[in-house]
Amino acid sequence: MTTSTAFNRHGENSFVATFAETEKEVLINLTEQLIEILAERVDDAYRDPLAAMVGITGHDSPPDDEVLLRLLPNAYADPIESAEFRRYTESGLREKKRVHAMSVRTHLLNETSEQISLDADSAQAWLGALNDIRLALGVRLRVEENSHEQLELLAPDDPMRGVYAVYTWLGWLQESLILSLMDDEQD
Amino acid sequence: MVKTEEKVEELTNPNFFVDRPWITIVWDDPVNLMTYVTYVLMSLFGYSKERAHELMLQIHNEGKAVVSSGRREEMERDVQRLHEKGLWATLQRDDH
Repeated sequence: MTTSTAFNRHGENSFVATFAETEKEVLINLTEQLIEILAERVDDAYRDPLAAMVGITGHDSPPDDEVLLRLLPNAYADPIESAEFRRYTESGLREKKRVHAMSVRTHLLNETSEQISLDADSAQAWLGALNDIRLALGVRLRVEENSHEQLELLAPDDPMRGVYAVYTWLGWLQESLILSLMDDEQD
Repeated sequence: MVKTEEKVEELTNPNFFVDRPWITIVWDDPVNLMTYVTYVLMSLFGYSKERAHELMLQIHNEGKAVVSSGRREEMERDVQRLHEKGLWATLQRDDH
């Protein structure tokens, strides 16, 4: 039985945390869900292969799914300008977020010990992926500015109780990584 | 018929060729950690820790803050970078 510890900075370029086996499994599972939800939309009536090559997508409407809309938000208040922007940028944004999540997944799958050690580059991928997962969970949990007290009081048999526990754990983990990185910025 | 004098006056107005600048706004959201917002503003825009912290508090307390301004293309790039980090950002023409 291992106990998890938050990220700590070890020397110049290393950020280390320990994970219990079940925590690794939970995080792997969440990165896989994130990768799946960020997969390119297949509902395009028309898809131009050349446009796809240069990252232009056929669609320009905001995603229907609330989680996706939070991960890939509108850039303008105006729907027409927003659609134009989305056409040229959404595909690239999806890909960047997928790459972060895949990097975390691979890291966790390849690490046999409970200790995870990140360099500065992989720390950025982790930071992005942890944040995206929290954003996604936050939408599903309907987190609002003052909803934490309510969420703390979820009934023991409420399936959202476990989701909320994971959400707060990831917040704690992300915070520790940010503080370790900021330590670095001040040097 | 426009008088030449008026025309010249309009053209010599120093703001004639200058578009009103565009601004990037970050909106408050209940999920992003305060330390994370501060960290992202520091690393994307090179703000000092103090300035980034101030902007983060403005976002948190007032619901939004302007984090950068400039040409439209530059603001589109800033919004893209902020979305990549998961901050809720939009751009618009500065209406002041």
